[in-house]
Amino acid sequence: MNYFRTILAFAFSLGALAADKTHWSFQPVKRAETATDIHPVDFFVRKKLGEKGLQLSPMADRHVLLRRVTLDLTGLPPTVKEQENFRADKRTTAKAFAMVVDRLLASPRYGERWAQHWLDVIRWAETVGFETNIERPVAWHYRDWVIAAFNRDLPYDQFIRDQLAGDMTGADAALGFLVSGPALQPGQIGRDEEAMRSARQDELDEVIRTVSQGMLGLTIGCARCHDHKFDPILQKDYYGMQAVFAGLRYGNRRLRGIENDDWTAKVPAARAKVQQLHAELEAMRKKHKLRVPLLSVQTETFKPVLVNSIRMKIAATINGRAASIYEFEAWTPEKKNVALASTGAVPSASSFALANQTRHFENLTDGSVDRRQSFPWVSASGGPAWFRIDFPKPVTLQSVTWHNGSSIPADYIIEVMRSDDVWQTVAHTMDRQPRIDDTRAPDKVKLNGLDAAQVKTLTAQISQLRAAQAELNRLSAGPQTFAASFKEPDTTWLLRRGDPMQRLEELSPSIPDMLGKLQPKDATEPARRLALARHLTRPDHPLAARVLVNRVWQKHFGAGLVDTPSDFGKMGNAPTHPQLLDWLASEFVRQGWSIKKLHRLIVTSRTYMQTNRPNAHATRIDADARLLWRYPPRRMEAEAIRDSMLFVAGKLNLKTGGRGFDFFNQRGGLSDYHPKETFEADGWRRMIYAHKIRMQAVDIFGAFDCPDAGQMKPRRTRSITPVQSLSLLNSPFANRQAGFFAERVRREAGEDPGFQVKYAFRLATSRDPNPRELAALKSLAEQHGLEQVCRVLFNTSSFLMIP
Amino acid sequence: MHGFSGVALAAMLAEYAQSATPRIDPTRPYAPRPTHFTPKAKRVIEIFCSGALSHVDTFDYKPELIKRHGQPLPGNERLVSFQGPNGNLTKPLWDFKPRGQCGKQVSELVPHIGELADELCFFHSLTNRSNTHGPAENFMNTGFVFDGFPSMGAWINYALGSENQNLPAFVAIEDPRGMPQSGPNNWANGFLPAAFQGTPFSSTKPIRFLERPKNITAEEDTAARSALRALETEAQSAFPGDANLAARIASYELAARMQLTVPEAASLRAEPAHIHKLYGADSDDRNRAAFAENCILARRLVERGVRFVQLFNGAYASGGRINWDGHFKLKEQYDVHGRILDQPVAGLLRDLKQRGLLEDTLVVFATEFGRMPMFQAGTYGRDHNPHGFTAWLAGAGVKGGMSYGATDEFGFSAADKVITPHDFHATILHLLGLDHEKLTFYHNGIQRRLTDVHGQVIRDILA
Repeated sequence: MNYFRTILAFAFSLGALAADKTHWSFQPVKRAETATDIHPVDFFVRKKLGEKGLQLSPMADRHVLLRRVTLDLTGLPPTVKEQENFRADKRTTAKAFAMVVDRLLASPRYGERWAQHWLDVIRWAETVGFETNIERPVAWHYRDWVIAAFNRDLPYDQFIRDQLAGDMTGADAALGFLVSGPALQPGQIGRDEEAMRSARQDELDEVIRTVSQGMLGLTIGCARCHDHKFDPILQKDYYGMQAVFAGLRYGNRRLRGIENDDWTAKVPAARAKVQQLHAELEAMRKKHKLRVPLLSVQTETFKPVLVNSIRMKIAATINGRAASIYEFEAWTPEKKNVALASTGAVPSASSFALANQTRHFENLTDGSVDRRQSFPWVSASGGPAWFRIDFPKPVTLQSVTWHNGSSIPADYIIEVMRSDDVWQTVAHTMDRQPRIDDTRAPDKVKLNGLDAAQVKTLTAQISQLRAAQAELNRLSAGPQTFAASFKEPDTTWLLRRGDPMQRLEELSPSIPDMLGKLQPKDATEPARRLALARHLTRPDHPLAARVLVNRVWQKHFGAGLVDTPSDFGKMGNAPTHPQLLDWLASEFVRQGWSIKKLHRLIVTSRTYMQTNRPNAHATRIDADARLLWRYPPRRMEAEAIRDSMLFVAGKLNLKTGGRGFDFFNQRGGLSDYHPKETFEADGWRRMIYAHKIRMQAVDIFGAFDCPDAGQMKPRRTRSITPVQSLSLLNSPFANRQAGFFAERVRREAGEDPGFQVKYAFRLATSRDPNPRELAALKSLAEQHGLEQVCRVLFNTSSFLMIP
Repeated sequence: MHGFSGVALAAMLAEYAQSATPRIDPTRPYAPRPTHFTPKAKRVIEIFCSGALSHVDTFDYKPELIKRHGQPLPGNERLVSFQGPNGNLTKPLWDFKPRGQCGKQVSELVPHIGELADELCFFHSLTNRSNTHGPAENFMNTGFVFDGFPSMGAWINYALGSENQNLPAFVAIEDPRGMPQSGPNNWANGFLPAAFQGTPFSSTKPIRFLERPKNITAEEDTAARSALRALETEAQSAFPGDANLAARIASYELAARMQLTVPEAASLRAEPAHIHKLYGADSDDRNRAAFAENCILARRLVERGVRFVQLFNGAYASGGRINWDGHFKLKEQYDVHGRILDQPVAGLLRDLKQRGLLEDTLVVFATEFGRMPMFQAGTYGRDHNPHGFTAWLAGAGVKGGMSYGATDEFGFSAADKVITPHDFHATILHLLGLDHEKLTFYHNGIQRRLTDVHGQVIRDILA
């Protein structure tokens, strides 16, 4: 599977880039002088506008400002009360507005909105992706960690450190960042060396993409392959970066914190209970003269006997699954295994299962117990089963060893056919104490010398021990979260053309040359990651702050100053306002990497507070308002639409955090996802709390460009499609919420139909309807009821747009 | 309506001056757009056999495989493939017979399709980079093994729009038994605007939310829409010339037209009995009748100008029970699947031909990879084989009765004129009048293509 060459064009762009160290984004951030009497953002924006003979538009109306900033910062519209308060505020608009901004930034709703952007950037999801797409059931801690990080204004440098090295900073959940991408499951990886190496390379490739696009705004991840046409140093950069993460593993890790401390405190008592139950069980075993339980690979020894054949009759397994043995070995007194096809032994069996892989009884004698390279015999169905091995000539046996397959036998006898053609039992389970994982009903367990009551007592003791042991295991492991874990780094090689089978020289951790050097050079775990974190959080880093402030700017204005937000390289676009970008980046670092301070700075500018109305002159010169002669209005994102519908309908459930609610009939898996049609309170939580399935577009809101975490999405498309229209007009979700919305309006607005319409309009759009709007809706209400008005409001631009 | 912000649109318009990038009118995203050169095909039906259809049991006749039945594969006696060790060479489980004027050998598993051999152009030397269903399906339908890339249908929709403004431009028709293995990846828009994604519906599964809610009367609905229209017109007057607002109004109008048009297009009631019979829609086998109805639906859609119709045969992983993944009892399972596939597909081809639609409609028949000429050790089925497999084209611009490329004497590996899905895609785009190197979209640092940086048009098969 040599598909690495597919990314040549990327390698090319990086080639050009590395050669060109003068590219703007690698230069130090330069803080230009600003004037004292003007907001710095406006200073730079006006300067650019002036060059084109343009100017800022007048201040927007108060109702527009309130709706804009409330949707922008929290993803929900303002309440009627908030509208009234802001309208009635006697202070200057600038002052009153600053108070609103502070209130919104302090609201927990703020983090719930802004965290989503970071999750988009790194294509975070709660399934593994690819074909099986199975669930990562405890991945949600990371989502909650990101929300909390925004809400408590975790400084961005610490945000970086925690996500790269949360094991060292005490932020285990933050390590979900590194493993946010898709990864093959062990069972999906082929059985040969090449497949295993490829899968490891793919896993690490996802990590490099996450880090380099997310934090550096560079597509380094794409220089994985190399063609001799291009500069080889580029590939070194890629594998140097890979070496930083060479110790990383996908999986669960212990989530330290209060819950963990609590569980740890309970371990001694749980262990004592296990020990006590175990001691009691051991006493029973001795009293009943039972042998110790079977192992999973069990040897049975007996008096040497000359045999032609041997057979194992399995009456039951520990859990009722079909009988299955991986390999059966028959040992001579000289310790030679004679149950081998290669020495002429011939297996047969009562049946064998048909599956995608062989479950044939030939597997019993293939001489392999390597579970990656060979297969078990499995009986075609549950219940009694047997297999038999005939030897080419009589052999003397002294013991046998069976290796468990997909089940473990609980009740069996092993017989040999002596040279006199008589079957003789050489081993059985009638005197074995059942295993702790044996879940057979007591009446199915037969033991020599024990009556039914005694068996019942014994199996009850076993099941108590099983439960106690499970509890001990759970407490000892501690609470788990899906996040990166680390061991000593593997050796990292430069790979010829990205082919994992063609290793060239060994590489130590590094970052691309133009960005500097990692110190110390020969670091191992966790020092490699800490070195990268130190590098990225240098106050003078040319990319880290620029990339972040641009992401924030993009969400405030709909487009970034650089409109390729995860690509600040040569293939990306240059900034529209380079001086502004640099000034913001420098101010951001100066203000302690505080994202909330950055928001406040941006949204209190006149640039942000100006009207959204177009004017013909400016439209001719700069139709898309990239120079910001007006505030660019735009459609809300999928999450904001859904959350706002629930909010307006009075049904939004503000429960925060925890396991996500479901949009589908299942939380992961191969296929056959069916969208849920109706939701109750748990499904009325904010959409960021929905369980995120990779590669499954969410019903209704997927059509509004809600990404499916298949690819990193630093910037959403904003489609307008008929499927959206059908969904908002006709879906049960939209209509049910429209019904709730109407009920709420009747409840809160009183009897007057005119006022009902007005009130509904205010809830949905944060303003009063003009006479024509009011007339249209009033007549609809009179003839067809308030529900239709509410249904229509959910479909209007006034509701769906950030004005 | 597509969905670019004005910014992306401006960037796009600027680019348009220098390249062949499609120019999208936001109020008419499915407006027909110019091809790069004169096309042979105006529309496409892609029949996709999910689960990997065995080429050696259908279209790739190997006398040597029959002769050496029961012997090990020379040179690969102990081959370990996807699921593990292989057994010995196993002859096709159905007899082959020469078909049509061209005498092409096609097996008794698909006799109806076989009869049309003179219309078909076989590619016997296709290869896939992945031997796993999901990634391999991705490759065949998006040009990449990874998730998240736009499907071929989305690229074509983006490039060409549609000839019918009242129906979706790109329709994905699922098998009645369930979704294909990589599910919606097969018709996803990836990083293209959502407007270009396939709309899934079938004879058994209508478009979601197409119908007015049951508790709302037609009168209420009309009144609501007209009030909405009044409000949107009002909004538009405050923002003269705003393309997004115009596009929103257009999208509601298109939705309304779809509500009228789709039920008519999707209803098979007007189809006469002999047409139902031709496709096998009169079958007592529920799955066969439903797949046949999907085939009739596909014809009705292309007849009405829909640009790209994807027709799935075979569903998700199920141990071969409901798709072509015959690992352990291939004969028994394929006997069922073959009957579902064969007559309906043949009926579709015959019907397209008798209506003259085959003149400018391209029919693509594909699967993600082939199967081994051996049985797997310990089973009665064949393992995945990405080294060589068969697909065919029929219709517009394609030579009929032709076979391009070949596997080795056992059907194990492509040996002559080896091709990749990129070549296959480049050829399909070429037939549609598109240069696969010029159809691009900027995403995360690169001008992306359906064919990545590969692909050669297979000119030998062009009529």
